[in-house]
Amino acid sequence: MNERRTILVRYDEIGLKGKNRDQFINRLVKNIQMQMKDLEGLKFKVPHGRIFIHCSQESSEECIRRLQRIPGIASASVGVTRKPEFDALAAVGVEWIEPLIKPGEAFKFCVRTNRADKSYPYKSPEIDREVGSRILGQLHSKGLEVSIKEADFILEIEIGQDETVVFNNRAPGLRGLPVGSSGDILGLISGGIDSPVALYRMMKRGCRAHGIFFDNRPFMGRGGYDKVVKLSKLLNGYQGKSKLYVVPFEDIQVAIRDFCRPAHRVVLYRRMMYRIAQAVAQQKGCLALATGESVGQVASQTIENLNAVSDVVTLSVFRPLIGMNKQEIINEARELDSFDISIEPHPDCCSVFMPPRPATRAKIADLEEDETKYPWELLMLEAMGKMETVDLDDLTT
Amino acid sequence: MIYLDNAATTPMDPEVIDAVQESMRIDFANSGTVYSLGLDVKQRLEDAENQIRESLFIPPSHKIIFTSGGSESNNLFIKGYAFPDRKLACLGLEHPSVTQTLEAFRELGNDPISLLDLQTEGRLDVSNLSQLKKEKVRLLCLSHVNNELGSVNDPTLILQALAEQSPQTRLFLDGVQAVGKLKLSPAMWQGLAGYSISGHKINGPKGVGLLVVEGKIDLKPQIHGGQQQHRLRSGTLPVPLIIGLALAIKKSVVKAADTIKNNQKLARHLVSKLKSLAEGLPELELQFNSSLSEDLSRQSPSIVNFSFAPVEGEVILHHLEEKEIFVGLGSACSAHSKEPSKILTGIGLTPEEARCSLRISFGTQSTLANVDAFVEAFGEAYRQLYSTFNRKTTHK
Repeated sequence: MNERRTILVRYDEIGLKGKNRDQFINRLVKNIQMQMKDLEGLKFKVPHGRIFIHCSQESSEECIRRLQRIPGIASASVGVTRKPEFDALAAVGVEWIEPLIKPGEAFKFCVRTNRADKSYPYKSPEIDREVGSRILGQLHSKGLEVSIKEADFILEIEIGQDETVVFNNRAPGLRGLPVGSSGDILGLISGGIDSPVALYRMMKRGCRAHGIFFDNRPFMGRGGYDKVVKLSKLLNGYQGKSKLYVVPFEDIQVAIRDFCRPAHRVVLYRRMMYRIAQAVAQQKGCLALATGESVGQVASQTIENLNAVSDVVTLSVFRPLIGMNKQEIINEARELDSFDISIEPHPDCCSVFMPPRPATRAKIADLEEDETKYPWELLMLEAMGKMETVDLDDLTT
Repeated sequence: MIYLDNAATTPMDPEVIDAVQESMRIDFANSGTVYSLGLDVKQRLEDAENQIRESLFIPPSHKIIFTSGGSESNNLFIKGYAFPDRKLACLGLEHPSVTQTLEAFRELGNDPISLLDLQTEGRLDVSNLSQLKKEKVRLLCLSHVNNELGSVNDPTLILQALAEQSPQTRLFLDGVQAVGKLKLSPAMWQGLAGYSISGHKINGPKGVGLLVVEGKIDLKPQIHGGQQQHRLRSGTLPVPLIIGLALAIKKSVVKAADTIKNNQKLARHLVSKLKSLAEGLPELELQFNSSLSEDLSRQSPSIVNFSFAPVEGEVILHHLEEKEIFVGLGSACSAHSKEPSKILTGIGLTPEEARCSLRISFGTQSTLANVDAFVEAFGEAYRQLYSTFNRKTTHK
């Protein structure tokens, strides 16, 4: 049987918005349509702020799988559309519940109705009762009982102005805001565990998160680059239309290593990364930077060093992991599916660039003095001139 | 492209590719079936096995077991022979598929013995093997040719020393770096308990290798199933790969004398070019980790390993890669994996010397011009990188 299915999409925080609510909903609908453009036979309906997708029974599972990866959705349910008549609604309940009852065993159910269409002549508890008693009437002799608190099966009914849907499942979504509703940002991405999670968090706040990667070739092999492309592709799967900017960083690192105080190296590298990221962000219309830094995680992430790094940029730097501990970040990387890629053993920095004793509290005046010792403006322009842009939508498989 | 990492793997010989392809088309039947289609395939399998026997002079006293490659052969023999409590020893400079297999016996309370104190230039010094007798070692596992250094453990010498000093100790050799690169003596099979060979190191296919095992040895199977291959290694045989392996072995053995002569010429040329590079480049302190001996019972000419502190080998490797020159490395320089090669530190190099090294390994396609191009690119990369790696130039 290939009966048509109706997917009811519940959005998350959009519901809290005021007059621009429609803009948010339209954005979410566009995002959903973009993620599903290759699925055939889908029909979208957006009556009065609700989102319905009509699809075949076959494709409903794939639709749900994809909806669960689109920021801005609280949950989604697959159901069937019926006329808002008690008998028709009860028939669905009987059809679904009957096969689940085992002979000789009690099976408990209840009905829960959400009456979005307030002009409907019955109130929710009345509908619960009317539909529930009809189902019970037909199946009581087989062992069906009603229990609000301990139901084995909850039949849900959503009564809308245009459409009434019956369903019995809720697939949780990512929540947050639809990508694109908060503008574009540029995230510093490495092959590690943290930065993909930081970008993921920004995406869930409605940002389209592009990535910028500082490439160590030819000191390191292509493995690090390949890994970042793989991570960026994964992130793009949640948002679409994002880009990865790859900036060669070797000449800058060599200059810092050769001319500056060893203890300052890492902070000096990061100041250059921030400067370049800001310039690229401004060029590409990104409104802020994002990083995976978390206070105290490594020497370059002390508050003093974070300040020393932020000092070189005027754009806002978002650090969504700033207060998280490593295990929390790892848990989220697993949820994002980036963890297994991040732990692939591709080195991201040659040991020759690492100082034996990195400064944990670099002073800005000292860093500025170091920066008089090498031509950073020139090297920055050269690096940006060699920047490669990877359009992540263009990557196949 | 210049490929000088033939100890890692080799490009497939076009004739071998043709043979594998043809067999893939024709020999699809299961060689274990009883109808004529399967019997034909079985016949071709037996022909391949006989061809391998002839090429390598393997006597009827030894069985041939086809495996997925060198690692499986090493695991099958060592575990199959020694499990659970036969005492094991190795030099400690073998490929991880030997050393890690021995390490796995620790969990059983059977701690393996390392003879690292008895190594010279990466070879086992056979003058005093009394420890083996004292510790009642039943199996000594060695590389025939060391995969990072090219040093040779000469089977005839070792078998003789064992017979004299520790007769209860049998010898197992990992031969994946030896076939086609050295002349195998037909006499070595007498007394040898086991020997492993891999297809892809000799211009053959990946995913196939073999274990030669003395017939009297009661080996315990590691893969159970349909009881193929004398019940020692179950699984339907990959006939096309085996046909490719047989041809690769045959070709490598036929060409062995020429290969050795060519590799000697290449190694000599490489060493002299590197030495003259160092003469004109005072900051380059060359150190050869592989022996420069031309005695084939001591050193395989197919591998040259050298160090050049303070520049890290991996960084040079990636600079060479930019010029499409591919060379080998025993260790990694990443900030995350600071572990240098156990083989190089095992022969006495400091961790820094071990990290600052490269392995050049020749194949049948290698030429003098390849060596020239490598040395030139190496010199250029070294000059470029030296100041960055030389810590004395670092500002305080």
